[in-house]
Amino acid sequence: MTKLRRWLPALLAALPAPALAQGVVVAPHAVFIDHATRAGSITLYNPGEEPVEVSVSFAFGYPTTDSAGNVSVELSDSTPPGEPGAAAWLQAFPRRVTVGQQQRQTIRLLASPPANLPNGEYWARIVVGAKGGKVPVVGVPDSAAITVGLTLEIRTVISVVYRKGQLTTGVTLAPISAGYAHDSVHVRLPLTRTGTAAYLGTARVSVVNSAGDPVGQDERAVAVYHALNPRLTVPVGTLAPGSYTVRVSVSTDRADLPGREALPAPTVEDAVEIIVQ
Amino acid sequence: MRRKRGRILGVLAVAGLLFHVPLMAQGRPLVPAGTQDLGFGTLIPGIPVHVLRSDPVGSGQFTLRGQRNAQVQMQFILPATMAGPLAATLPLIFGATDGGFSAAESIANQAGFDPRAPALGTLSSNGRATIFLGGMATPSPTQPAGAYSATITLTVSYTGL
Repeated sequence: MTKLRRWLPALLAALPAPALAQGVVVAPHAVFIDHATRAGSITLYNPGEEPVEVSVSFAFGYPTTDSAGNVSVELSDSTPPGEPGAAAWLQAFPRRVTVGQQQRQTIRLLASPPANLPNGEYWARIVVGAKGGKVPVVGVPDSAAITVGLTLEIRTVISVVYRKGQLTTGVTLAPISAGYAHDSVHVRLPLTRTGTAAYLGTARVSVVNSAGDPVGQDERAVAVYHALNPRLTVPVGTLAPGSYTVRVSVSTDRADLPGREALPAPTVEDAVEIIVQ
Repeated sequence: MRRKRGRILGVLAVAGLLFHVPLMAQGRPLVPAGTQDLGFGTLIPGIPVHVLRSDPVGSGQFTLRGQRNAQVQMQFILPATMAGPLAATLPLIFGATDGGFSAAESIANQAGFDPRAPALGTLSSNGRATIFLGGMATPSPTQPAGAYSATITLTVSYTGL
């Protein structure tokens, strides 16, 4: 009992600390729904001290890159023609709910796909909006003064993948390019998906000098729905003049996803030499 | 004694089931939270007030917690005006450098971004970051007194899913 008393504060401290303002925890951070069950769920947890109004909606979107290699997830209310969207036939129950302080709420997800849905993977995003009470910004409690209040809404977006049938995935990696600027090595990874499902993996970059010693490395989770050409930046500090090799490997190793959800695929690799003057 | 001990262990087990197991089972969810309001202080008609994102007291501040070293996208929806009494409006202006991102969670060590467009940031090695927001309120010389309000929306997502 004495031991338990000693450990109790530490155990309680290990529980999530309450946030100071709005925002709910949405878990998991990616939902996979199988055609056999056509259902899933997410859990909301309000770690704050005030109730939060939560809304749940669906949109279409997936990561893409711009010409500079910046990744963005652009959301649209409707699915563009030719895209395998699931947002139109996904429903959430409830769609609006107030989550009390330090309370949790399960949101059920139900899919009602068309009867003749072909085998394949279908994509959507869940948008969970959390709105707290009005937040008074510093002002003067005087009817003759101008007082200002801002309401804060925080939206968390997570992916939904609906799978029907046996699916495969993979990527091809076109020749990478790299350059050194501003104490960093910048690498472009032109990735194109193969197979019938999105590729969820991890890109790892390492930079070694001519003696084979590592001078920098980085890794990033990548999601290739069609094609992606991200730019990864590896901080290396000031490099001495000479030759360096930039190595890239992309694999389906994802520590943040259950093993069965990131479909397996062969690892792809490439390397390129850069010269620092 | 045994009953008490069992009760405490039971509470801890339930707490673990409630909070940890379901929420953390598939990696860390991305958890945004507002921690400080964007504050313009006392507004006087005709006197614009610009709050810098580096203002420790006035800047809006949001924390992010999530996967270690994960890249996240953040996007604000910012109001152009605040609604006040008798349909009066009070203009707000957000400039190209009014957003700030700090993986170090330091107001003195933030990278600026345009909060009017989607922006990217990378969480720290312990999965944390802070977003800062500045802006300008521009009451007109004839701005009616009263309470004004508007909504700021911040949307966040991982880019690797």
